[in-house]
Amino acid sequence: MAFASLFVPDFPVQAVMRLEPELRDKPVAILAGAPPLTQVLAVNREARNAGVEAGMTKIQAEAFQGIACRWRSLIQEATAYAALLDSAWTISPRVAEGPRRQEQDFPDTVVLDIAGCERLFGSQEKIAHDLKRVASDVGLETNVAVASNPLAAVCAAQGYSGITVIPAGEEGRELGRLSVEALRIPFEFLETLRRWGIGTCADLAALPEVAIVERLGQEGLRWWRLARGAEDQPLIAKDFPSNFEEHMDLDSPVKLLEPLLFVLKRLLEQLCARLRMHILSIGEIQVTLSLERRDSRRKEPVLHIRTLRLPVPTRDSKLLLKLLQLDLEAHPPSLPVIAVRMLTVPRKARSRQLGLFLPLSPDPERLEVTLARIQSTVGEGRVGAPVLLDTHGPESFRQNRFVLPEMKERRPSSEKRPTTAMRVYRPPLPAMVESRKDKPTYLTCEGVRRQVLAFAGPWKTKGGWWSETAWAREEWDMEVRPLRPRIRAEESREAQEETALYRVCKDLRRKRWFVEGIYD
Amino acid sequence: MKYVELHAASAFSFLEGASRPEDLVSRTKELEMPAIALVDKDGVYGAPRFHMAAKSVGIRPHVGAEVSVEGFGSRAAPPRWMPNSFAARSVRLPLLVENRTGYQNLCRLVTRYKLREKEKGTGKATLEEIAEHAEGLVCLTGGEEGLLAASLANHGYDEARKNVETLIALFGKRNVYVELQRHYDPGEERRNQAAVRLAETLGLTLLATNGVRYATAAERELLDVFTCIRNHTKLETAGRLLERNDERHLRSNEEMLELFSDLPDAIGNTGELSARLEYTLADLGYEFPRYPVPDGETMDSFLRKRTQEGFENRYGAKPNEELFERAQKQMQRELALIEKLKLAGYFLIVWDIIRFCREEKILVQGRGSAANSAVCYSLGITAIDPVGMELLFERFLSEERGEWPDIDLDLPSGEQREKAIQYVYQRYGQLGTAMTANVITYRDRSAAREVGKALGFDQNTLDELSSVVNSGEWRGPSDNFENHFEQVGFDLNHPRVRKYWELCERIQDLPRHLGQHSGGMVVCQGQLDSVVPLEPATMPGRVVVQWDKDDCADMGIVKMDLLGLGMMAVLEDCLELIPKHYGKPVDLAQLPPDDPPVYETLRKADTVGMFQVESRAQMASLPRNAPVKFYDLVVQVAIIRPGPIVGKMMHPYMRRRQGKESVTYAHPSLEQVLKRTLGVPLFQEQLLRMAMIAANFTGGEAEELRRAMGFKRSEERMKTIEARLRSGMTQNGFSPEVQEEIITQISSFARYGFPESHAASFALIAYASAYLKFHYLAAFTAALLNNQPMGFYSPAVLVHDAQLHGLKVRPINVLRSEWNCTVERTMKEGKEVPCLRIGFRYVRGMRQTAAETIVAERQKCPFEGIGDLIRRMPELQKSEFVTLSEIGALNYLGKGTHRRTALWQVERAARSAGPLLDPIPEQLELSPLQQMTDEQRLVADFHGSGMTTGPHPMSYCREALTKLQVKRACDLPRLPDGQYTRVAGCVIARQRPGTAKGFVFLSLEDETGISNVIVNPDLYERCRKVINGEKFLRVDGILQNQDHTISIKASRILPVSITRAMTESHDFH
Repeated sequence: MAFASLFVPDFPVQAVMRLEPELRDKPVAILAGAPPLTQVLAVNREARNAGVEAGMTKIQAEAFQGIACRWRSLIQEATAYAALLDSAWTISPRVAEGPRRQEQDFPDTVVLDIAGCERLFGSQEKIAHDLKRVASDVGLETNVAVASNPLAAVCAAQGYSGITVIPAGEEGRELGRLSVEALRIPFEFLETLRRWGIGTCADLAALPEVAIVERLGQEGLRWWRLARGAEDQPLIAKDFPSNFEEHMDLDSPVKLLEPLLFVLKRLLEQLCARLRMHILSIGEIQVTLSLERRDSRRKEPVLHIRTLRLPVPTRDSKLLLKLLQLDLEAHPPSLPVIAVRMLTVPRKARSRQLGLFLPLSPDPERLEVTLARIQSTVGEGRVGAPVLLDTHGPESFRQNRFVLPEMKERRPSSEKRPTTAMRVYRPPLPAMVESRKDKPTYLTCEGVRRQVLAFAGPWKTKGGWWSETAWAREEWDMEVRPLRPRIRAEESREAQEETALYRVCKDLRRKRWFVEGIYD
Repeated sequence: MKYVELHAASAFSFLEGASRPEDLVSRTKELEMPAIALVDKDGVYGAPRFHMAAKSVGIRPHVGAEVSVEGFGSRAAPPRWMPNSFAARSVRLPLLVENRTGYQNLCRLVTRYKLREKEKGTGKATLEEIAEHAEGLVCLTGGEEGLLAASLANHGYDEARKNVETLIALFGKRNVYVELQRHYDPGEERRNQAAVRLAETLGLTLLATNGVRYATAAERELLDVFTCIRNHTKLETAGRLLERNDERHLRSNEEMLELFSDLPDAIGNTGELSARLEYTLADLGYEFPRYPVPDGETMDSFLRKRTQEGFENRYGAKPNEELFERAQKQMQRELALIEKLKLAGYFLIVWDIIRFCREEKILVQGRGSAANSAVCYSLGITAIDPVGMELLFERFLSEERGEWPDIDLDLPSGEQREKAIQYVYQRYGQLGTAMTANVITYRDRSAAREVGKALGFDQNTLDELSSVVNSGEWRGPSDNFENHFEQVGFDLNHPRVRKYWELCERIQDLPRHLGQHSGGMVVCQGQLDSVVPLEPATMPGRVVVQWDKDDCADMGIVKMDLLGLGMMAVLEDCLELIPKHYGKPVDLAQLPPDDPPVYETLRKADTVGMFQVESRAQMASLPRNAPVKFYDLVVQVAIIRPGPIVGKMMHPYMRRRQGKESVTYAHPSLEQVLKRTLGVPLFQEQLLRMAMIAANFTGGEAEELRRAMGFKRSEERMKTIEARLRSGMTQNGFSPEVQEEIITQISSFARYGFPESHAASFALIAYASAYLKFHYLAAFTAALLNNQPMGFYSPAVLVHDAQLHGLKVRPINVLRSEWNCTVERTMKEGKEVPCLRIGFRYVRGMRQTAAETIVAERQKCPFEGIGDLIRRMPELQKSEFVTLSEIGALNYLGKGTHRRTALWQVERAARSAGPLLDPIPEQLELSPLQQMTDEQRLVADFHGSGMTTGPHPMSYCREALTKLQVKRACDLPRLPDGQYTRVAGCVIARQRPGTAKGFVFLSLEDETGISNVIVNPDLYERCRKVINGEKFLRVDGILQNQDHTISIKASRILPVSITRAMTESHDFH
């Protein structure tokens, strides 16, 4: 039995640096948390040497000269980890995730079963070197360790830098030099070991087995065996991925196509390198460009998505780049690009068979198509299910994705209350209101001046004072009559009766009036 | 038509109002409103301040409260789908007080349901209780928190009508007003329409109010923050819990007329109702209780007899006829005044408490200005002879003042004091006596923490911010939120951070909640609950009034302070320990008055652990003052105070004391007053006498002068009295320069000065502590350690100081220690001498019951080993065994046992293998673990017990430090003044007194003693993080050796790595 493990030190930093190779050998700090609570999440060795530490605030970190600060990107970390797994799959099909600490979003270690691989790839040392090289091809600097059990390999990879090959039976001796903390033992066990004066794995391994069980139970025994390099656990191999993705957040918005192509090229190269490891080609490629938001009130990202379906699968990054360039020239993004996501689907088509006992409900795919059709008619972002928000503020609802509601039998309510429905104009119609003694007299909207016959209000709301989205508004309900002259007598009679009830609001911060809706 | 706001709540509605009562009053004045009613939630917490503020600006303050009731359903809660929905809250009825009966009813009603409440802020009145207490009260139907809103929202118009009819039945039609509020809210307007209909149908009067929650619109932001604090949520997510807009502020007459132009009567009725509400707090109806006296006696005659008896004991024993005569005269004069002011009952009640304490053997001593009274001395309330010491009675009591005298009693902190408090409760009944409240207000730290939470800052950031916010008294130019924010890396240009900063400033001093004053008690003849509402305190068996001690004083309620003094408890413990372990009794009243070695110790400033004279500043001045007799100690206690320091009296006195400056007087006539203090006024009594001599003031006038000068709010009062002072001095021929000098002295002093009587009372305790420490070190140290926390130094420092004085201190031992530290015997130089054993109370996390079980069990039969101990002590938790092992308390349970052996065995025993495998013996005889190193032992000692009885951490690296030219504390006296020196040590105190212009004082302890370091403000700013964060420091600087006061003026401060042990320091208090 032989197992190898790859560990990526300072994983969040490397996840960013693999797509920005120019940052290599520079001090880099990864920031996380919304301003003003931004903190340094991780740093590389160079930054650590310069004095920057995780947990510092952004301002403290920026005080250090020459430090490059980047925002944490969970998507980039996810793709980096996928690339690490891909590297491992080049050697063995049996690849598993390494153990993950509680606070980690992604593991930073993989472990693979290399039993029998010597015949294909050479000695264990060569395999370790190959693994390190392949990981380096996808931009990750790793520690690699080989041992006769997976956990010993993981501990060695996490504890020693470079390449470590532990001969069978030597696990205890090799791991002995490591601090017990390297075993990632839970705090309460570590505390007991600290009290006992146990500092290294060798110290722990030297304690008698029975005494350990008596004191620390089976869990303690597991750590003891781990310290001796004797703990074993089955490897739960991961499945191969069905698609491959790369993502990059841009340091500053890119307006021109040329620098954008430079980024696309990097991503394509990474994708092709990874697909090459699986001996797969690209069947379809989707590029999603996140665009800069001009209107800070808009919460949802502005995306520009282009999809290329290739008639013939290919891994030729130059050809793919050309195709993308042509497509983007034809459909350029309307705003500067702040992030690029590239998703590829390997050529293999999936076969799918419907289940025999599926319930008779709308086919989800057809529903998606229907929703897409509605969307193409009414416009982007105008389809969904509204959900009320807990605020006194305007536009106090959110639009969720439409999902089929659970069908429930509805019983008519015993009490019927009169309700008034209001049709809301989105966006609201700019208006002008003439007032006399603070009371509205005329309402002008869409070029039509109307006399205010009756009104209720103002109803005032004001809030969000602690944030940039503070609001202050007055709402009025106004009954109005159009002032247009009527030609025909019958029309004139109708017009006298023709009144409408509007919801009018005044944005007190911008000092502007709007007609927000009309009551049915 | 004049509008009067009759429904305003202040910040004393605790997190439901955002303005202080004073701010509401001043805004009312600005709006030219003739009156205003304060209607706080479930009480009259803010009423005294409101009353005083309104009185000063000529506004009529109406009293009222929003009373929570059950029986009318609950207030409309937010819909369930909202994230911030809360449990049903009871309806609150705004009640306004019409007359004194109404006020008494309101207080009784609130007391009734408050005393029933199970947790703070949950009580509510039943309809029966309301009916019982409805007389003299006017009821409004309320705003959103009121009955009408709840009824309409929950059950509609008919239910609302039914409930309002209930109100009519309870209060009478004339006393129920249908309230209308307009905050530009459609829901509220619908309610108003229903209310108008109801009023018409039932023939009730409409009343417009604005349901005020803050004085001005801007304070709505604070109310939103309070709402978040109350609901444990953040502004971002609080949603509809927050205010809808900022309309609940005080409005002018014109605004309200405009707002209710369709219902002008609703405005007019406010004026009419205001005219009906004749009651103000000026008519409180408070009466101090009468002391029950035997038949045929009056309280005056009874007091006279008790005083005479005491007088014979006190003065009869003194062989000084002249003093006896003078004292007799003084006592008669005092008794006559007490009779005239009808205060005999008060003195008898205090005397009664003293009598109880004596009977129960509780050490008690009066402090404060009561020590100026010969009657108090004769009654045994105080221990200082005011006649012998020529103290001024008028400082305590005067005819002119028209105030209750203030008698404070010092009692041993802890159980004994509680016994005395319970006696008072028992004697005057639960509704006749109560503790005064302590209004907890937002200060820098609490403001930063709670506002930060509301704004959504994370816990770690808030912790970091709290750590840099200075809690000490000195506020330098850099001690503001702006700097603190920058220190933790906040970007002040960020709008949210700026808002945070601004809110922290604005929230300062607003009330947060009500606590209990440490010792202030009020008593009342008859029912205290008809004077002020009472509430249950957190401590069982105690009730608290809704006002703090200043409010009580403003309202003319007499207060007694039963204060817990740690040192009294120490003295009391010493009285028990000394006879037991030294074989001789000790009587505090009979201590040798001027024991030379004690004064020598004081002169050397060797005062760690002594009462009042142990602080860094006291130590620095003791060698200069060089006390040789008791009065020197009285001066010493009084001189290190803001008054003498700010008034620049300290240095002249010290120079004169050392003969460096001649003793002069501003005017020859002042010599008799200032002679004792070398011409420098140090005590309040002296200032009073100066005014009496210089400007012919009477005693009472002089006291009034002191109060006017000390009363920061009354500029006008001060000017009037100053003019009188000047004219008096001019009459007596004082030159303008001398007048100016005297006035400067009085004004700088009146606020901070110390009464001589108080200083003398404290000096007595200080002397006793010094005497006991010098002669009975083991007992004194044991008592000190058993009464922690108290004083200026941590237990580790106290233990080390005792060791330096030759006391053997033995570590915690499971075979010897008790819960408290105890005195044992040991052999020293062939003699058996006392030594100190540290008690289990210093084992971190150990429960007293567990410790007591160990003691009881080992008395039955000694423990034979760790296994035996564990087997016989199933009550002990694993963590307790682990800590005991870690600090070496189990080392004595077997040969060759060290701390790790114990840990090894404890860990096995703690994990039971079950009945089948338990009898299997340990395979190993000893543990395979290594012994702890010195460093590990230190870390374990400080971690597990906060101290070490072994060598001081600095001694382990003395060799290396010596190579670095680091001097020991004991070497410093031998070095010449001005030499560049280097010291290092464990930081035991960091101080930044308000009077020191931003200088910071550090005390560094090494194995030989304490060295004192002075850090200038610039250096402090540069090294703030190191100074505040590091436990061990190295300081380079110039040695100052002036008048035997030694310190290092730091020019460089570095952290030194000595140990990872968590030593403690006393910082910025």
